[in-house]
Amino acid sequence: MEREVILETKQATKHFGGLAAVEKVDMTIYKGEILGLIGPNGAGKTTFVNIITGMLPITSGKVYFKGQDITGWPAFKIGRLGIARTFQIVKPFRGMTVQENVAVGAMFGHGGAKRSPREALEHVDHIIEFVGMADLREKHADELTLPYLKRLELAKALAMDPELLFLDEVMAGLNTKEIESAMELVRKINEKGITILVIEHVMKAIVGVTQRVFVLNFGQELAQGAPQEVLNNPAVIQAYLGEKFVARFFRQQKAA
Amino acid sequence: METLQLTQGVVNAILLSGTLTLVAIGFSIVWGILNIINLAHGAFLMVGAYITYWLFTLYGVDPFLSLPISMLTMFVVGYMVQRYLINLVIRAPLLVTFLLTFALEIIIINLATFFWKGDLRSVTPDYAGLGFTIGDVQIPYVRLAAFVISLVLTGLLHVFMTYTKTGNAIRATGMDIDAARLQGVRIPQTYALTYALGTALAAGAGTLISISFPIDPTMGGAYTLRAFVICVLGGLGSIPGVILGALLFSFIEVFSGIWAPSLKDAIALLVLVLVLIFRPSGIAGKAFYH
Amino acid sequence: MSDQKKAPIRFSSLDGLFKGRQGVLFSIFLLFILFLGVFPFLPFASGFWLNTLTLILLLAAMSIGWNFIGGYTGYAAFGNVAFFGIGAYGTGLSMIRLGLSFFPALLIGAVAAMVFAILIGLPILRLKGHYFAIATVAIATALGEIADSWTSFTGGAAGITLPFFDPIEWSGQFFYYMAYLLAIGGLLLTWFILNRKMGYSWVAIREDEDAANMMGINTTWSKVMAFALSALMAGLAGGIYAYWKTFVLAEEVFKIEYTLQMILAAVLGGTGTIFGPFIGAFIYYILITLLVFFLPVGQLHATILGAIIILVMVFTPKGLMDFISGRKKLSINALLENIRTYRV
Repeated sequence: MEREVILETKQATKHFGGLAAVEKVDMTIYKGEILGLIGPNGAGKTTFVNIITGMLPITSGKVYFKGQDITGWPAFKIGRLGIARTFQIVKPFRGMTVQENVAVGAMFGHGGAKRSPREALEHVDHIIEFVGMADLREKHADELTLPYLKRLELAKALAMDPELLFLDEVMAGLNTKEIESAMELVRKINEKGITILVIEHVMKAIVGVTQRVFVLNFGQELAQGAPQEVLNNPAVIQAYLGEKFVARFFRQQKAA
Repeated sequence: METLQLTQGVVNAILLSGTLTLVAIGFSIVWGILNIINLAHGAFLMVGAYITYWLFTLYGVDPFLSLPISMLTMFVVGYMVQRYLINLVIRAPLLVTFLLTFALEIIIINLATFFWKGDLRSVTPDYAGLGFTIGDVQIPYVRLAAFVISLVLTGLLHVFMTYTKTGNAIRATGMDIDAARLQGVRIPQTYALTYALGTALAAGAGTLISISFPIDPTMGGAYTLRAFVICVLGGLGSIPGVILGALLFSFIEVFSGIWAPSLKDAIALLVLVLVLIFRPSGIAGKAFYH
Repeated sequence: MSDQKKAPIRFSSLDGLFKGRQGVLFSIFLLFILFLGVFPFLPFASGFWLNTLTLILLLAAMSIGWNFIGGYTGYAAFGNVAFFGIGAYGTGLSMIRLGLSFFPALLIGAVAAMVFAILIGLPILRLKGHYFAIATVAIATALGEIADSWTSFTGGAAGITLPFFDPIEWSGQFFYYMAYLLAIGGLLLTWFILNRKMGYSWVAIREDEDAANMMGINTTWSKVMAFALSALMAGLAGGIYAYWKTFVLAEEVFKIEYTLQMILAAVLGGTGTIFGPFIGAFIYYILITLLVFFLPVGQLHATILGAIIILVMVFTPKGLMDFISGRKKLSINALLENIRTYRV
């Protein structure tokens, strides 16, 4: 069965000065899936998302969204087109209430053109409820704790009515219980028909929630495939955990 | 343009670059380490120039001998101003520190005008007009001396920052304040010391300027802007960058002064804006905005 | 406690505006606006008072304009006097060189200021923080110098002289009402924008520009609009000022002190609030008048201005409104709060 492609990068490359942060990456995201993007620290995951979403200018290569070439588009146009993202380091609008924060997404995002501010403020109530922040609607963003700030990030992105959502380490810094509920949330979002790319360091979350995983290392593709399969790939383990661990891992395997 | 005018312009530009390096270097370290734009920089420079002027006029002190006095006095003043005023709000948003140093500048200039009057004054030792010529190019002794002294002071600053414990503490603070604190660096004192150094260097530049050019209480503002332009040209955070920036700027200034004297400052400022727009990382430095 | 920390941006619904302490304050403010509206007809409205209030209202108008870019959008613009100067020259030159009457000339002056803001805004609004601030100072300073030396066009150091307002006996009232309408118009404009997407985009940019951009806000357009509208306010103020004084001189209309006054008024009343800059302009004038009165040092006017700036920046950089409205008690502790937060 031919699956419908929603986003495709071709030889996407980003250099900082002489340094290659992302090098010739071909990635395909299929409509409706949850794809995991993993890799060790500094592998270029966030940079990769930044060049797709127009936060950073791409050095070379192409990005297609639903077949349309969006390479080099400004971030706001990409946002309006139907791609939303959260930020690893949360970026709330601190001087606004939770409701106003989320309403900004509803005003300017994919579905925003037709909404007035007043309509946007009304529209976001169910989204705030969906992420479990109904009680905090009138609070200012600078009064929230980190788990709620992460939820706010999510709500802001959802309010944009995206077709494709990038979640950049939404689970980092959360405890086990909070991770569970965040994973549940990700699944529920996906059930609404939104395609998701999860960038994650927390392995458990990746295995639990994704159908397919893409591994970046030193800015290049290292592997991709089903989660369990990829995580047992020696090259991946080595990149992730270092030589020593690999040696030990295989000794143990042999012993067993 | 005649060849003579051209060569003389080149020589003047090089001589000027020494003093401008000194003007900009103090501004640069304060900006780099404390992360504030010290708009009072030029005002301190002006006070340094006046210290030299009064020592010479009232007590006949040779202007070059007044250099340490001017620098030391303003070092103490700078330390106090930072420690007991600027430091109170040093981490506040840009608008606050910007306005604060702006206000300092206004007050210093206003008081200077009030007590010393606004007219142009000159420091005129016996050797003021003397010089030598190579071919037809004239080189005044005082400007050459100012050039050499500026470079020596810049070199001393480099040595201080690189090879002394205090200098390293200052640089560490600029790179990562929390790490520096963990290493036992006392931040308030280090900040005050950095600001004091910046102020002393400004005063030293003021002294050297007063020997070559007439001075008045409003002279400083133009130098603050020059310092900023030089830091932008050279890129923030390195002494060689400042030297390069000063050299480049001196050429722009000298030659725009020959071609369009009345628009000298306007041209310098437009260069600034153009560099900011088209080459935001400076000529030699790292990117300063993202 | 916490829920009254900041007023929400939203101001679209009028309910609640007249309730409680907020309502009392708002009613007082409305009465004050009405009082200003009929002021010239009151028996004690001498030329001196009319003159002073015209100045304050012009400052209020410029400060309201500065608040668009500096307060709401969060870009520390330090060169807004450039727009004042362009407005003054644009109006003055249109009147004497083109022989236009005041209102079309004022329109030309204001449009010139806006166009200039858009042209320089497109490149320099890409800069952040210190770099943007200095670029605006540099442009304003350079512009003043160009105006000063371009004698054939601007009259240079001799300035240009405009015709008097006719009939001259109504001159005071005319300029008072021009300034009044401009300031009130500025308040309404602020309120109008805050209830549009534009207002949300400004605050979003101030709080986090990258996030704003990613969420679909055309940040360049929003910033340039904020800059252009602040130029419109300053340009109109400049044009009115020029005709009022019947004289335009580069040294005078490009004075950096004007920028400082705009910012200081906004800070005193509260940046990023609707009424802040308007009220701040009055607070500023009262402060400086009191200080000049009690410290009889005419030539040290600038020192007093500087001292006010320092005191405000050190003790109350969030303005005086919280104290005036009673939201915060004026105490030593409240004054030291800022230092405790920001010292090292």
